Amino acid sequence: MINALRAELLKMRTMPGVWVTFGLAFPLTVLGILIVFASAGGFAGHTFYFVTSLSQRRRLLGAGFFGIEILAPVIGVLCITSEYRQKTITTSLVLVPVRSRVLLAKVIATALWSVLIALLGLVVIAAVALPWNAALGGVTSQVTDQVGAVIPGLLASAVLLGLFGLGFGTLVKNQVAAILLTIGGTLILEGILIALAKAIFHYDLNWLPNGAGAALAGDIARGFGGGGGGDGGNGPNAFHLLTWWQGGLALLAWGLGPLTIGYFTTFRRDVT
Amino acid sequence: MTPGATTRGLPIEISGLSKRFGTVVAVDDLSFTVEPGRVTGFLGPNGSGKTTTLRMLLGLVHPSAGTATIAGQRYQDLANPTSSVGAVLEATSFHPARRARTHLRMAARAGGHDEKRADEVLGLVGLTGDAKRKIGGFSMGMRQRLELATALIGDPDVLILDEPSNGLDPQGIAWLRDFMRYLAGEGRTVLVSSHLLSEMAQTIDDAVIVSFGQLKAQGTLEEITKGITGIVMRARSPEADRLASVLAEAGIAFRRITHDEVAMDGVTPEQVGPLLAANQIILYELTQEGGDLESVFLSLTSGLGFGDVADTAP
Repeated sequence: MINALRAELLKMRTMPGVWVTFGLAFPLTVLGILIVFASAGGFAGHTFYFVTSLSQRRRLLGAGFFGIEILAPVIGVLCITSEYRQKTITTSLVLVPVRSRVLLAKVIATALWSVLIALLGLVVIAAVALPWNAALGGVTSQVTDQVGAVIPGLLASAVLLGLFGLGFGTLVKNQVAAILLTIGGTLILEGILIALAKAIFHYDLNWLPNGAGAALAGDIARGFGGGGGGDGGNGPNAFHLLTWWQGGLALLAWGLGPLTIGYFTTFRRDVT
Repeated sequence: MTPGATTRGLPIEISGLSKRFGTVVAVDDLSFTVEPGRVTGFLGPNGSGKTTTLRMLLGLVHPSAGTATIAGQRYQDLANPTSSVGAVLEATSFHPARRARTHLRMAARAGGHDEKRADEVLGLVGLTGDAKRKIGGFSMGMRQRLELATALIGDPDVLILDEPSNGLDPQGIAWLRDFMRYLAGEGRTVLVSSHLLSEMAQTIDDAVIVSFGQLKAQGTLEEITKGITGIVMRARSPEADRLASVLAEAGIAFRRITHDEVAMDGVTPEQVGPLLAANQIILYELTQEGGDLESVFLSLTSGLGFGDVADTAP
């Protein structure tokens, strides 16, 4: 198993698409930071303003979620679909003929790269968001105090969103289609479905992948698309997320479900 | 086994192997064995089931029936698969952005081998100077060599090569021939599929000939080429129908090749010539083809094997 994992990590490290995806975490995190400061400024009558409330401080620390919710699934998709796109699946399965072992190696490799994306986001937070917040007049320690409350959920949601992408890629072997469907599904279709469910049935469709990820990541995801936004209050239009553990379980199901179906259908098929 | 060979090879056994893709029978109750220390040619026309058989042997395709084993075990059940078996299947199984050495380091990692082995096998296949080049810029011949290097990464006891000479230039083909002989000389089992029969005739010790997924012949090259008594006669005539009647009456096994051409097995010009003259059949051409591998192959794979020939007589 270790051998298969080491090979998988080397494969991913030598795929340009993986590095492009990883690199996109930087601008997307910066965009997330801008959104946090802009929304704080909106309340305070400024363009940008330092974070004050507990919710704002956590959102600033978790601004990397904006990149994670897009990029972690893409990493998972790339991990599996590149094998079919480049026809390397034949070599991979000859070198490691036990297919469950290959897939498990991909699960772990995807998880590690998803964590790396989350960590890059945190580096950007430390390098850009915290100094900027201090320059705007905020107190850095009030933000860093929330590390324990934010980081575990952020990392867990990154891993599970990566797993979701991997599972989806196992089912839909076409790389372009899988990426478009994953991103489009989580960012556009999910938002539409949430809005429709709320408008027509007054139902919080909060167990879809992004909403589940937002719940797991905690309050940080509001406004980044996760959970469809909403004011987080108790008004009639408030969107209620699952609890963090419910979100974790839902996201785990979104990852393991497609992965299991894909394993027993697509991945175990004849390689001709 | 080749004289002087060690006993490091492992036997391959195909037993009752079948594969259906929907209604298409790709491999039909195929059974044969491949012995260590020899180069065995796996020969058959396009679509005869060679690649499917090799992929079933490597666990890439699931058999509909039967077994394909190496030293009595399925490939996927071997303790160290890449130390036991190396396979060259297709020259396109590479990520184009990856460098040759990186690809081989990945293969070494997957098999649990020392990554230094990457440079060793690059040297074995003559690609040392291209180690840092991206595979996307490789020619087909270079890719074939890299495939072979990948197969050799675990210093395996068995080499399975599917059309390995595709894309190789004449020098590369000669190199491959010597290389296969060298590997078999070390006692390894070498199973190679190819459609380049003249090339195979110079390389292989044994042959397995398949057609329509069925075994047509197996044995040493000598046994197989002797089996057809060395002669195929081809006659071209504007009176092919009458020619066929005469042959049938004389009890000579034959088959129609084209509308004006007939092939006869196991007869000599001395037998056929007088017969056709006595019946005043006009001939445009009467040729004798020797009992080489190509003629045996063509005889066996034109839809009929040895045992089927007599049945074609009207």
